[in-house]
Amino acid sequence: MSFIHLNVASAYSLKYGTTQPHDLVARAAEFEMPALALTDRDGLAGAVRFAQSCVDYGIAPIIGVNLGIDLGVAKNRITLLAHSDGGWPALCRLLTSLAMVSDNRSPVLTLEFLQRFSHYSSNLYALHGPESPVGTLLTDNRIDAAFSTFNVTRDLFAGNAIECVSHVVAGKGPRSMAHAAKSLIFARDHDIDAVITNAVRMRDRSDGPVADVLDCARQLVPLHPRHVERRNAEGFLKSGDEMILLAGEIARAAGERTPRQLLATTRAWAERALLSPARDIGLGGAHLPEPHVVGAQSAHEMRMVLRTRSEAGINWRYSDSGAIKKARARLDDELSTVATLGFESYFLTVADICDMARGAGIRVAARGSGAGSLICHLLGISGVEPMAHGLLMERFCSPLRRALPDIDIDVESHRRLEIYDMVFKRYGDINWDTPNNQSRCATVAMIDTYRARHAIRDAGAALGLPAMEIDILAKSMPHVRARNISSALENLPELKSLNVKAPLTAMTIALAERLDGLPRHLAMHPCAIVLSDGGLLDRTPLVANASGYPMSIFDKDDVEAIGLLKLDVLGVRMQSAISYALTEIERAQNMKIDIDSVPLDDTRTYELIQSTRTLGIFQVESPGQRELVGKLEPKTFTDLIIDISLFRPGPVKGDMITPFLKARHGWSKAQIIHPDLYEILRDTEGVVVFHEQVIQIIATMTGASLASADEKRRALGDKSGAQEVCDWFFPAATSRGYELPIINEIWELLRAFASFGFCKAHAAAFAMPTYQSAWLKAHYPAAFLAGVLTYEPGMYPKRLIVDEARQMSIAIAPLDVNESDSLYRVEENGKAIRIALSTISKISDGEIASIIAGRPYTDLSDFIHRSGSSTPVTESMILTGAFDRLHIDVNRRDLLLHLSDVERSPNKTISGAQMNLAFTPPALISSGLPDMNSAESVRHEVDRLGIDMSHHLIEFYSDFLNAIGAVRSSQLLEARSRSSVLVAGIKVAMQTPPVRSGKRVIFLTLDDGYGCSDSAFFSDVQTDYASVLYSSSLLLVRGITRRTGARGISINGTGAWDLRAAYETWRTKESTLAI
Amino acid sequence: MSAPQINSAHDVTIDGATTPIEFTFRGKRFRIHAVLSRWCEAGGWWNRISDGKYRPDDAARAVWRVEAAPIGTLTTFELERDELSGQWIIRSI
Repeated sequence: MSFIHLNVASAYSLKYGTTQPHDLVARAAEFEMPALALTDRDGLAGAVRFAQSCVDYGIAPIIGVNLGIDLGVAKNRITLLAHSDGGWPALCRLLTSLAMVSDNRSPVLTLEFLQRFSHYSSNLYALHGPESPVGTLLTDNRIDAAFSTFNVTRDLFAGNAIECVSHVVAGKGPRSMAHAAKSLIFARDHDIDAVITNAVRMRDRSDGPVADVLDCARQLVPLHPRHVERRNAEGFLKSGDEMILLAGEIARAAGERTPRQLLATTRAWAERALLSPARDIGLGGAHLPEPHVVGAQSAHEMRMVLRTRSEAGINWRYSDSGAIKKARARLDDELSTVATLGFESYFLTVADICDMARGAGIRVAARGSGAGSLICHLLGISGVEPMAHGLLMERFCSPLRRALPDIDIDVESHRRLEIYDMVFKRYGDINWDTPNNQSRCATVAMIDTYRARHAIRDAGAALGLPAMEIDILAKSMPHVRARNISSALENLPELKSLNVKAPLTAMTIALAERLDGLPRHLAMHPCAIVLSDGGLLDRTPLVANASGYPMSIFDKDDVEAIGLLKLDVLGVRMQSAISYALTEIERAQNMKIDIDSVPLDDTRTYELIQSTRTLGIFQVESPGQRELVGKLEPKTFTDLIIDISLFRPGPVKGDMITPFLKARHGWSKAQIIHPDLYEILRDTEGVVVFHEQVIQIIATMTGASLASADEKRRALGDKSGAQEVCDWFFPAATSRGYELPIINEIWELLRAFASFGFCKAHAAAFAMPTYQSAWLKAHYPAAFLAGVLTYEPGMYPKRLIVDEARQMSIAIAPLDVNESDSLYRVEENGKAIRIALSTISKISDGEIASIIAGRPYTDLSDFIHRSGSSTPVTESMILTGAFDRLHIDVNRRDLLLHLSDVERSPNKTISGAQMNLAFTPPALISSGLPDMNSAESVRHEVDRLGIDMSHHLIEFYSDFLNAIGAVRSSQLLEARSRSSVLVAGIKVAMQTPPVRSGKRVIFLTLDDGYGCSDSAFFSDVQTDYASVLYSSSLLLVRGITRRTGARGISINGTGAWDLRAAYETWRTKESTLAI
Repeated sequence: MSAPQINSAHDVTIDGATTPIEFTFRGKRFRIHAVLSRWCEAGGWWNRISDGKYRPDDAARAVWRVEAAPIGTLTTFELERDELSGQWIIRSI
């Protein structure tokens, strides 16, 4: 008879257990144990991966939890096991109730709680171990008290057993042989079942030091016998033989001849607690919202609802009869796939959420492979038309894959949580007091694990390494896994001064490495929510967290494994900016625009992108992308999709860009291997760019269905899979009549590009906001840039966007106390943008609201008394000219003086209306001081707004730049290719993106008030100039021009200097010359 | 016993598992008549770091308190076995 462990803590007993569930299961399997329990402290966060490992190793899972319990005895713990028949939902619900009804952050069981929720506890077994209330009383030999305490909770559980634990510690306390024997005698005398466990928290004896460090990290204390729980190293996953020997010893110490009874009872208890990974935990299932939630009475009716709604979508999306016919055929295909999988509810639920968002006026766009589904398009989940762009349903969802497909939706970033609120209102529940309440949604946990930095901090603190040294060591660590600390240290020259071989430091590092990957904290996933049927609370415990949204303790992989619909709701600032631009167009220019239905062939939009003036446009504004769009010259939406797909590390490394561009510009002929592939590869000039193309090539060459072709494509990802596909591909293609050389060539193509390809649906979904933002910039630049300034979706600072507006002939209306709003407003029918109050540094939302509420202000002192602004904010407003229009007779210096006069006057604090009657402000007269010069004004503007309003910063260097013959960025295009130029400007972006050679290239973008110039510094010049590039914000660059397209020019940098320093040198020389 | 000294127990015979039965101490053969108690010890590894131990190495020790006698005389011993090396020592008499 083999032994089964009933009390095992994994690393998901946060900062307590030392071993990952998977490793415990592997060890139990090695011992040929038929089952293993996981009874983590305080939660079930490891349960799903534990169950998955059990399936992998072919052993049965037993799951329970070890919880604090307060029956007035002492601080105690008790272990609860789910029984085989309905115990799992009860365990989940008990934990949810405990988390939701308690105010305490780490709640404990009480008699009152257990009685209130006895319908859950009555499905659970209780193990009363040495740390339980009963066990604690036994330690003190209070046998009668122990029995009466046992009886208090006895009837609340499905069964009770006394748990005998001997770690063979010295003495007679908990975990000693004496205590285990005493427990066994107590059970026998009172006719209670007794089981033996080993209260496991480690896999091996040698894990002891890790356990000790975790004890210290949990309690934030240094290592000391008082702070560590264990007295020896016996709390590890012992083999069956070791446990049988131990049981024998306990039994003999309790006066029994053999341990047969103890072992048999343990075994019987284990058998009553075996869970089915599929039936109980729900692995491999799918639990989608029920028909009635999505407005149908039955599964059949739900199918009809999906069809009806999709067909209505055809009339909405298509007008030409040919397209309608094609759409109907495709819809029938997709619907039958969905019916096979039973995913109707999935589509309807996501559509429902998108509808709710749109109903509230929030922009929504699907991202990812979901754009490949016509149903998603017809239901309004995705805006991209899939058929015209060759997007495939099979890439998203196929009868050959039972996994729930992934839909992510992009929403306006600043309104993301409104969608959470709506979803929780519709699908969630708040009646945590009501037994068996139902909820259908939750946020998802994210498991924060030990990486290098935290591991060093916790190990170092436990060992008492000096705080300074911990700090240096931890901060120097790149973001690597904890187990790679040693190898990372070898690559850190800055740590040469630190003696990492010193005993304490070396020990810290050795221990930190052993913390690798242990979970340390459950955080909330930043954008995922799960939706399911009404049984959600039977499948996962929820906890309350700071966000206020109930959170499943399972992470995104776990919830997928148990078949819950995971929806990522991502906040995208560009969606906010687009939405804002649309409302501004309507408000200020009286035009209502439906951006989601503007045609995708607008010439002005593509001309703008081709001109590389793409600042602010989604996805294509970075220097590297500006160079690429300059070369690629997108003319169609498909070109945009290609552009986005090519600008990624894979295609850059695989050099897919060059052959594509050569063929695109007619410099070389597109290489299309076989006429059958012409349609598939035409748009990309014979280059395989998309997953969808790989799928179609495989299907065309072999006659396989698209669904199975996608399975083959997925298999191409790894070596053994690729070999299998190869073995299948050659005969399949041969039997379709293709010649061997052709098959060979195509196979090479597939193999080479399989790993670089991009999901076209994903790129197409991304291309939509790219196009929409470009369209807005081309047609309504003021409104668009006001949106960009308000929500800052991109990579460039505000001052550059302001500059971009000026160059597009949009006036920048200065900050004005009576005109500026909280956000950037369009003025003069789209010819101007007004600087927003929110731009002022350190201004609070409260101040903005109160300034706006107090309008209009008659003068500065009126403002000081009524606006509720702090002095620094008022000062900033004076310095940036917000009062210039109210006070034409005096200058900004006079206003500052006036501010301090008013500040000093005794009645300053009298508020509002009273003040108007009682208060005479000090007179505001011109002091005769000269006004600030333009350099001072600009400096204040940059300091207080971050924007140089009145003059461009570079203007002050114009004499110098003219003298040395520097070229303005707007004139760069006139420079001949391969000529040497000087450019200057403010650094607006610097990137080191992935490049084909793997060597570092620094891409620098400078703004000189006439536009931007882009320079690239290759490794040979970096030695001399990298430090100035990184440290200076005003730069002078020398380089050789390089044409990148009809409208694109880039500079290969050969030198760079700090502009200020260069100017000073020149000025000194100038004055010397003048003398 | 003033200074801690290590008294090796030689030629320890054990039963099937690790329970000691007989041992030789200072040239005399002892027979264990009864195991009074036994326990396991570990921990305190952090106090030995400065000894130049750079690995978190936590030696586990199993201890037996036994009654043993050389030819008729019963004496109480603590026998310690190092779990790693399997070496036996007399902890106290």
